[in-house]
Amino acid sequence: MKKKPSLGVYGFTGCAGCQLAIIDCEDQLLDIFSALDVKVFYEAQSNNDDSAEVDVALVEGSINTDHQIEQLKAIREKAGLLIVYGSCAHHGCVQAMSLGDGKWAERYKMVYGDTKITVANPMEAQPLHKFVKVDGFIPGCPPSAEQMLKALAQVINGSLPTYTNSPVCLECKFRENQCLLYQGKMCLGPLTMGGCTAPCPTHNTPCIGCWGLIEEANHTSELKLLKEKGFKTQDIINRFRVFGGSDLSEKIAELLEVK
Amino acid sequence: MTKITVNHLARVEGDGGITVELEGTTVKRVELQVFEGPRLIEALAVGKLPLEVASFTPRICAICSVSHKNAAVRGLERALAVKEDEKTNLTRELMHMGEMVESHALHLFALALPDFLGYPNVIAMVDKYAEVVTQALKLKKFGNKIMKLLNGKLIHGENATVGGYGKFPENSELLEVKAEAQAFLPFMLQAAGIVAGLEMPDYLESPTTFVCCKPEGDRFGFWGDEIIFSDGRVIKGLEYKEHLIERVEPHSFAKRLLYQDKPFTVGSLARLICIGDRLKGKAGELYRSLKTDRWNKNPFYNNLAQGIETIYSLERIPELVDKLIIMPNPAGLELPTRTEGRGVGLVEAPRGLLIHDYSVKDGYVSDANIITPTAMNLDDIERYIGLAAAKLSSQGKDAAEMSFEFEKIARAYDPCISCATHLVKVIVR
Repeated sequence: MKKKPSLGVYGFTGCAGCQLAIIDCEDQLLDIFSALDVKVFYEAQSNNDDSAEVDVALVEGSINTDHQIEQLKAIREKAGLLIVYGSCAHHGCVQAMSLGDGKWAERYKMVYGDTKITVANPMEAQPLHKFVKVDGFIPGCPPSAEQMLKALAQVINGSLPTYTNSPVCLECKFRENQCLLYQGKMCLGPLTMGGCTAPCPTHNTPCIGCWGLIEEANHTSELKLLKEKGFKTQDIINRFRVFGGSDLSEKIAELLEVK
Repeated sequence: MTKITVNHLARVEGDGGITVELEGTTVKRVELQVFEGPRLIEALAVGKLPLEVASFTPRICAICSVSHKNAAVRGLERALAVKEDEKTNLTRELMHMGEMVESHALHLFALALPDFLGYPNVIAMVDKYAEVVTQALKLKKFGNKIMKLLNGKLIHGENATVGGYGKFPENSELLEVKAEAQAFLPFMLQAAGIVAGLEMPDYLESPTTFVCCKPEGDRFGFWGDEIIFSDGRVIKGLEYKEHLIERVEPHSFAKRLLYQDKPFTVGSLARLICIGDRLKGKAGELYRSLKTDRWNKNPFYNNLAQGIETIYSLERIPELVDKLIIMPNPAGLELPTRTEGRGVGLVEAPRGLLIHDYSVKDGYVSDANIITPTAMNLDDIERYIGLAAAKLSSQGKDAAEMSFEFEKIARAYDPCISCATHLVKVIVR
């Protein structure tokens, strides 16, 4: 029989929802654990071997201290494949919404005040691909249990996780929902990576973009459409940034010029 | 000098550790550490629209995401003077019950109970306690189901929003939830009996102040616009900053809180101490038959308190469903009636009081302050670990035995480190 692939599950800064997404595969959890040699998974087990080499590293969370950069590089060295999972690791998520605006120090002071803190060097949150080579990704905030199961099955069988490169908008159409953009709501479905099956628009609440951008997302067109609906440019760009900030940081000036 | 270090707390949500330094039996230093980075969520809320803020502040924590959502929408609705709708309120309460049941079931059975029954983890308990473990996992799944039904997604749903719900559930779905809650009650009563029969260690006993939300009227519940203290004080939510004093510690990036210069405790036990006499039904009977003076000084009773609250939740769910199915859905979301104001959303997360404080100016959030229960508990957890260290070392316990007990104390508080870490920072040793 083929040797079981070894797996490490690691977490950096986030809400820990991505690790929970694995634990929430309640009915299949034992099967997953028996098909893999799980070396590290702090949230689920106590016998963890940090020094182990692993075939696959699943890493969640964004990086926002110098110490975490070192830890991430060490994981990269020990891992055959490094797969990022969840929005924080993939594109930075909400904590990276204002990446590159030059005001991080100001925000830091707003929360911590003037007390000098000496134990580590924090910095603005960034996704993992800014620091190491990433081999694949599982999108989601957090990924759904179905998405996690599919990705784990792919990893167990020696392939990289696949993702849905069509927008939430398409999945929303499949569910025969009334279009929220037509109703004048600021929905980001046309820009956002699908795979979630559009639960939010199905509940009449606009897509907030939490799975990140699809490849070739057309911001200019969405911006124009939303402006026609009467929204202010700055409000629209803020909305784009909440979950797409780190990818958009270089495009913002361009978008602000859209008439 | 003896230094006891627990490098990675197991069976808690998030990445934390404990360091205790002893000179003989004198405790020199106790630190509960958290190894994650600051995300500055409050600062990022400034300049955003209230609806957006309600979407992303719950991202502080996955395991308490419904509590954060309820605190955020309550805070923002108060700031914007949004009219309260009864059906929305009751639906939110039902959604909250989902999180309470899920979180308490996970903590009580899978994380804490192994400590008291002498097992390394919940899986090892299966041989002797198969029925309890299976039912407990089903109960956890039931809590998840409620959250998914009402919030649209299992974690970080968007259905609950400022002004109401995007879509209310069907009556048939609610009735299913009611029937399941009723079916779990006998198991939970039996399980609470097991927890009540466990001997709680007494090596750390010392009184503290307990703090929680005061629900309106004379009902038990998980939110209100006032805060009640076990010394009898009641304050308005808007005045919390005058009584719960935040500080920044240079050595840990941790924002800590004190009440009257002393640590205090929030959580399940705090709720029962402050408003437990409001409990009715089986939960009330159990509370009255089990409550002793030791509860006021021993944080291990938080585990039993979670059991009683789970029973309360299972009894409350059918009541809520019965009310909801005869109420018409509101025509749409309730809208803001002003563009400027301040509002404080007070909610009891499973692990204690959660405060979301927002100011809005010209329709945009102009200030935000969020205080999480784990941040409030950190000082008292350290104090109790210190008391335990002094007592246990004088009894001649070795470092391994002590470090197990320290972990057990931290775990009894059901700490949620993702929550705490939007304020608490790394200690690199």
